[in-house]
Amino acid sequence: MFILPGALLFGIVIILASLQTVWVSFFDWDGVGEMQWVGLSNYVQLFDDAQFYVSLKNNLIWLGMFMLAPPLGLALALLLNQPIGGMRIMKSLFFVPLVLASVTVGVVFTWVYDPSFGLLSLIFGYFGATAPALLSDEHFVTFAVVAAALWPQIAFCLVLFLAGLNNLSEDLIGAGRVDGARGWPMLWHVVLPQLREVSFIALAVTVIGALRSFDMVAVMTSGGPFGSSTVLAYQMYEQSIFSYRFGYGAAIATVLFVIMAVFIAWYLRTLLKPEQENA
Amino acid sequence: MASVEIQNVQKHYGSFHALNDINLSVEEGEFVVMVGPSGCGKSTLLKTIAGLETVTSGQLLIKGRDVTRLEPGDRGIAMVFQSYALYPHMTVAENMGFGLRMAGRPKTQIDAAVARAAKILRLEEQLDKKPKQMSGGQRQRVAIGRAITRSPDVFLFDEPLSNLDAALRTQMRVELSTLHAELGSTMIYVTHDQVEAMTMASRIVVLNRGRIEQVGTPLDLYSNPANLFVAGFLGAPRMNFVTGKVVEAQGRSARIVCAGGLGVALDDLVQPAAIGEAVTIGIRPEKLRINDAGSAIAFGGQVRLTEYLGRETILYVDAGDLVTTGSDSGTGAFTAQIGEIRPFQTAAPVSIAFDARDAYLFAADGRTISSPKPVARL
Repeated sequence: MFILPGALLFGIVIILASLQTVWVSFFDWDGVGEMQWVGLSNYVQLFDDAQFYVSLKNNLIWLGMFMLAPPLGLALALLLNQPIGGMRIMKSLFFVPLVLASVTVGVVFTWVYDPSFGLLSLIFGYFGATAPALLSDEHFVTFAVVAAALWPQIAFCLVLFLAGLNNLSEDLIGAGRVDGARGWPMLWHVVLPQLREVSFIALAVTVIGALRSFDMVAVMTSGGPFGSSTVLAYQMYEQSIFSYRFGYGAAIATVLFVIMAVFIAWYLRTLLKPEQENA
Repeated sequence: MASVEIQNVQKHYGSFHALNDINLSVEEGEFVVMVGPSGCGKSTLLKTIAGLETVTSGQLLIKGRDVTRLEPGDRGIAMVFQSYALYPHMTVAENMGFGLRMAGRPKTQIDAAVARAAKILRLEEQLDKKPKQMSGGQRQRVAIGRAITRSPDVFLFDEPLSNLDAALRTQMRVELSTLHAELGSTMIYVTHDQVEAMTMASRIVVLNRGRIEQVGTPLDLYSNPANLFVAGFLGAPRMNFVTGKVVEAQGRSARIVCAGGLGVALDDLVQPAAIGEAVTIGIRPEKLRINDAGSAIAFGGQVRLTEYLGRETILYVDAGDLVTTGSDSGTGAFTAQIGEIRPFQTAAPVSIAFDARDAYLFAADGRTISSPKPVARL
């Protein structure tokens, strides 16, 4: 009963919308006029579209670089978890990117990267060099955007791991110390196994975050220069809203959905497996 | 050479003194049980021996070596935790061999040590299981096995049986005593259960509020408690305590009058009593006699409750103005333990009697100033 409203909403908004998206992807539609059945031609066109492969490649770059977030978050969490004075303030400072809306983060990093007055140009200027215009360089732009997006993602992983570290069994750590484990062996054999579930959640959330990246691209580059920083989610948005090609956009969305579904299936499988073990 | 030597150990948490000037020497092969109410510092003391807690001041020696600043893994100790603290992702064999693995021992040596421990604890069939698949008693066996494989100089046990049900606890108690006899190792065992203390210990250390109240063999502490606290802590059901005032004192003799006008005369005090001093008389439940004439000291009461324990009867008796302090009933009723089954009606009038030579006397500051005359010593 308690989950009924949520389930209902989920059913209508998510499932129905997804099904409709798949349906729309078989049509040529400008969003207002007649829908015209075109079968698979949207997909055929998509797989011939160079822009699609740029987006896909960029999504892979996002995914690859985002994989840094869980280990970096864990490293920071271990550091912040040390009983050193002032760590409470440090912890709260590390929460800041989580509080900021990602649009804000995007805008802030756009300033940082700005070649005329940005922080980056200041640093480069200090060494007498000229800062590259990262956001208008088609080779660096995706990396620059991902670096900006990594900031809150690392903070998110950090919070997850900090919570996990708070839940460590004191007796187990004690047993490890009695058994002579310290440093890396302690981390590897005693601490990390206890963080397994948290790590898994951090990893899953990071994968999904990388795949549905959209807002940072929209705010920082609008996919530019020349579409070199688009990702699938942004390309879908651009095709549907700006180019009035809802059918084509829906086809991109469907492809993205399939990719995500693979990860979600893996996620659910791993999530359900320990429960079966316990039964 | 003492196996464990604790010298002037203090442990302060801010202004709270968890351990106050602890001095204790544990001999090679002894089974020492540290016992006391919760918060008395017994677990803290064990953890400082293990090295899981640092000391504020003082020294710890294990086999003559100063280990005060050493890491737990370097102290030659092994510890068994109340929560078992098994590594959940490792098999039983891996759990038991982990300490040796960390010490960099070769695999053959680890396997041999694990096999030996598994044989002692009858865990041979379980070696490939994960802790999750085992019962509480088996898990505690694995935890003990993990301690055995390290062949430590000292075994430390932190309330290892508290999470087990009563029947299993009795069984494990016997097993642990047997294990101690087999291995002959030094063992330090913390518990709040005085039955475990009485049955397993070669010596008991009674702790209270971060101080050692008394150290001695179980029977010694039971018959010659150093103070009111030890007298009240050891023995089940608890000793009956009645407060009174010294009205006559002469040399080593004193006459005490309690509420309700009950007079008790005691001699052979370890120190002279002063007239007007507030004292406490203690009498063990098994020394109270019900409806049995011929005793020097007797008073009347009313049965509040009777408990039949199969081979003995526990009787709670209200005696008007004459109330006990801190006894099991919590209501001021006297507790009497009768070594046979005898029926009593609730609210029936009975007479209670005891001999002066069975009574303890405690001074106002709690120190024992008179104990019953010693009976046969073991």
